[in-house]
Amino acid sequence: MMQLKHYPKVYWIWNHRLWVLKHYPTNSSMIWQTELAVVNKLLELDARNYHGWHYRRIVVGNIEEITNSSLDKEEFEYTTTKINSNISNYSAWHQRVQIISRMFQKGEIDNQKEYIQTEVSYIINAMFTDAEDQSVWFYIKWFIKNDIVCKTLDKQEYVKMLKELRENILLINNDEIEFSGKQNIWCLKMLLVLEDILEENGAFTEKNSEAYLVQLMDADPLRKNRYQSLLKNHR
Amino acid sequence: MSGLSALLREKHIRYIESLDSKKHNFEYWLTEHLRLNGMYWGLTALCVLDSSETFAKDEVISFVLSCWDDKYGAFAPFPRHDAHLLTTLSGVQILATYDALDVLGEERKARLVAFIRGNQLEDGSFQGDRFGEVDTRFVYTALSALSILGELTPEVVDPAVKFVLKCYNFDGGFGLCPSAESHAAQAFTCLGALAIANRLNALNHDQLEEIGWWLCERQLPEGGLNGRPSKLPDVCYSWWVLSSLAIIDKLDWINYEKLTEFILNCQDEKKGGISDRPENEVDVFHTVFGVAGLSLMGYGDLVPIDPVYCMPSSITAKIKKYPYK
Repeated sequence: MMQLKHYPKVYWIWNHRLWVLKHYPTNSSMIWQTELAVVNKLLELDARNYHGWHYRRIVVGNIEEITNSSLDKEEFEYTTTKINSNISNYSAWHQRVQIISRMFQKGEIDNQKEYIQTEVSYIINAMFTDAEDQSVWFYIKWFIKNDIVCKTLDKQEYVKMLKELRENILLINNDEIEFSGKQNIWCLKMLLVLEDILEENGAFTEKNSEAYLVQLMDADPLRKNRYQSLLKNHR
Repeated sequence: MSGLSALLREKHIRYIESLDSKKHNFEYWLTEHLRLNGMYWGLTALCVLDSSETFAKDEVISFVLSCWDDKYGAFAPFPRHDAHLLTTLSGVQILATYDALDVLGEERKARLVAFIRGNQLEDGSFQGDRFGEVDTRFVYTALSALSILGELTPEVVDPAVKFVLKCYNFDGGFGLCPSAESHAAQAFTCLGALAIANRLNALNHDQLEEIGWWLCERQLPEGGLNGRPSKLPDVCYSWWVLSSLAIIDKLDWINYEKLTEFILNCQDEKKGGISDRPENEVDVFHTVFGVAGLSLMGYGDLVPIDPVYCMPSSITAKIKKYPYK
C-alpha cells in the first residue's frame, strides 16, 4: 500500500497486489470491497491514473461475480461524480461508455428513450462548460454514432436529437467567434461528423463540410494534412 | 534550452556510451530489472545515429547470453533474475540487430519459442510471465519475438489477432485489454501486432480514419505528443504515436516541424541524451524514442527505422514475412 502511494504508475505493484489477492485462501467479497475503497482513495489523489481505472474494473468485476449482482448503476454514478469534479477526466468518460453499453445490453434501463434524452442534456451541459477540452467531444462522437442510440430512437427522434446537438454546437461556436474572433475547432470537427450522419439519414439541409475543412486547416494547423485528406475524400 | 535547432548527435553517442561504464554508480544497480531493455534501447539509438560500433559487439552478445534464465528458458533482465517476455524480446532484438541469432543454438531457440508460446492464454492474450499480468504489450512482444525468430504459427497468431481487435475502442484508440482506456502506447502494440501478423486488413477504412484521428489529436500546441487526452506531452510518444501513424500510412497527420522542435528542446546540451520534457533529466529510454521519432520524420541523415519492429529497417528487411510460404 505504501508502495502504491509512492509509485502509482508502476505496473508491477498493481499486478502483484492482484496476484496476492487471487491467491488469498478465502475469496470473499469483503476483500474486494476493501480494494474498492483503496482504489477510490487512489483515484481521488490521481483521477486519471491508468492502472487505477484498470484495477477498478477488475475489482468491480470480482465483487459482481462473488455477490452475483450488478454494480453498473453505482459505477455509472461514479463516472458522473468524477466528470462533475473535472470535466476533462477522459478516463471517466471512457468508463461511462463502457457502462452505458453494458446497461443497455443487459436491459438494466427501464425507460431507454428517457435515459438517452437525459444523457443528451448532460453532454450539452458539458460542452457548454468546457468546449475547448477534447474529452467531451470524443464522448459525443461515440454517443451520436453508436448502435444503442441509433436503435433505441426511431429515425425521426434520432434526427431531432442530432439537430438539437447541432444547434447547440453552432451556438457555442458563434459565442466563441463573438468573444475571441476565432472559431472553436472542436465545434467545427463535430459539425463535420454531424453533417455526415444527417446526410446518411436523409435529413440534410445545407452542406458546409468543405467550408469547415478549409476553416480547420487554418484554425488547427497541426492537423492540416488530415483535413486535406478529408477534403480530397469529400470532393 | 529553447532555440536549439540541431540534433546533438555526437553528444548523444557519448551519453549512451557512458551508461555502461557507470557500474560503481548506485543507480546502476537499482535499475538491474531493466538492464537488458536498456541495452536494446541504447543499441537501437546508436544504430539510428549510425554509430552501432560504439558498443563492443562481443561484450554485448555475452551480456545477452548471461541473462539467459535456464530454469524458464528465456531471457531475464539481468543474470540470475527471472525470465520475462519483455526482456526476451529485447534479447532477441539485440541478437538480430547484430545478425547473431545463431549464437542461441537450436536447443535454446526451441526453449525460447516454447516459453513465448507457453505464456499465451486461452483468449489469445499473453501474460508477461507466470505472475499473470495481461496487457496488449505482451501480445506485441510475443509476436515480434516469434516473428524475428521466424517462428509464427496460425495457432499463436489467429487468437492473438482476435484478442487485439477486442482492445479496439470507440474513440479510435486501443486499450491494454478489452474495455480499458485508449493509450497511445497500446495503439503501437496493437497496430504493430496486427502488422506483424499481416492482418491490418482486419480494420476497415472507417476504423483506420478514426485511429488516425485519435492519434493526431495527441499533438499539443507546443508540438509534443501526449499518450491520452488532457495529459502532458512526453518524448516517448514521439515513437508510440508516430510509429502507429506510420503503420496505418498517415504519418504526416501531425506537424513534423513542431514535433521536431519539441524533441530537440528535450536534449541535454551538456551531457547529451534526451528527456521526456524540456529541462528534465535525460535517460536512455527517451533518447532512443526521441531519435527514432526523428528518424521516422526523415530528420537529417538518421538511419531509417522500422515503425513495426523499432529496429533499423536494413535489419528488419531480412525478417521472414508472415504468413510463411
